Amino acid sequence: MNDINDEDWVRRLLQSALPPLNSVTPSRDLWPDVVRRSQRPARWTSVDSSLAAVVLLALLLFPKWFWFLAYHL
Amino acid sequence: MPAEPDGDVLRGFVRGDEGAFERLFRQFERDVFGWILRIVRERAAAEDVLVETFWRVYRGRARFDPNRSFGAWIRRIATNAALDHLRTWKPTREWQTADDGLPAARGSDRDTNDTIARAFRRLPPDLQIVAALALLEEQPYAEIADALGIPEGTVKSRVFRATRALREELVRLGIRP
Repeated sequence: MNDINDEDWVRRLLQSALPPLNSVTPSRDLWPDVVRRSQRPARWTSVDSSLAAVVLLALLLFPKWFWFLAYHL
Repeated sequence: MPAEPDGDVLRGFVRGDEGAFERLFRQFERDVFGWILRIVRERAAAEDVLVETFWRVYRGRARFDPNRSFGAWIRRIATNAALDHLRTWKPTREWQTADDGLPAARGSDRDTNDTIARAFRRLPPDLQIVAALALLEEQPYAEIADALGIPEGTVKSRVFRATRALREELVRLGIRP
């Protein structure tokens, strides 16, 4: 079977198993969820913790870097 | 996507005006939801991704240039949020097979459809998203490329890879051309 036939075959199978989802709307008004999400304080992630640890360590080892960091942050 | 919003609304949104943001939400909610649903194919998940999308839009408002297309911008954000969802998606019980080493039974059409759906869900997220948009929903390659922020040629090659992977998986599961 060539590539075009393969694609047609796979396309037909997918469309028969997973029919197109037309005219489906959210089950409720999601605006209140968006407002709640945008008012939620940002979470402190593991990346943030690692970055803070690196900066702290750098300042302990090289105190003179304080002014460099203060300028850039 | 709906018509581009009024310039005043966009400028208000960039300044952080919640009323302007709500107008944008009301204007784009339905189309963005439809786009996300085409990718994630579950209503509840699409609702979560829609909320995440508008949160990212709000968070990134200062980076938006009101002279550019808001529709294209939000679609790209929605596509990335949907892709993130696919990356963290875990199969629910109905998607799991009893034994991955054995072909699924083909006793009925429902079984066949479940097998096909399972093969589709097993695609890596970057292939699943192009398979959903290009093969299932028949969206133009240029539109998919714009939404994913990749060249059209990359979309074509991913469709090719997705087709090949699906074909191999379907044959393995007992469905042959």
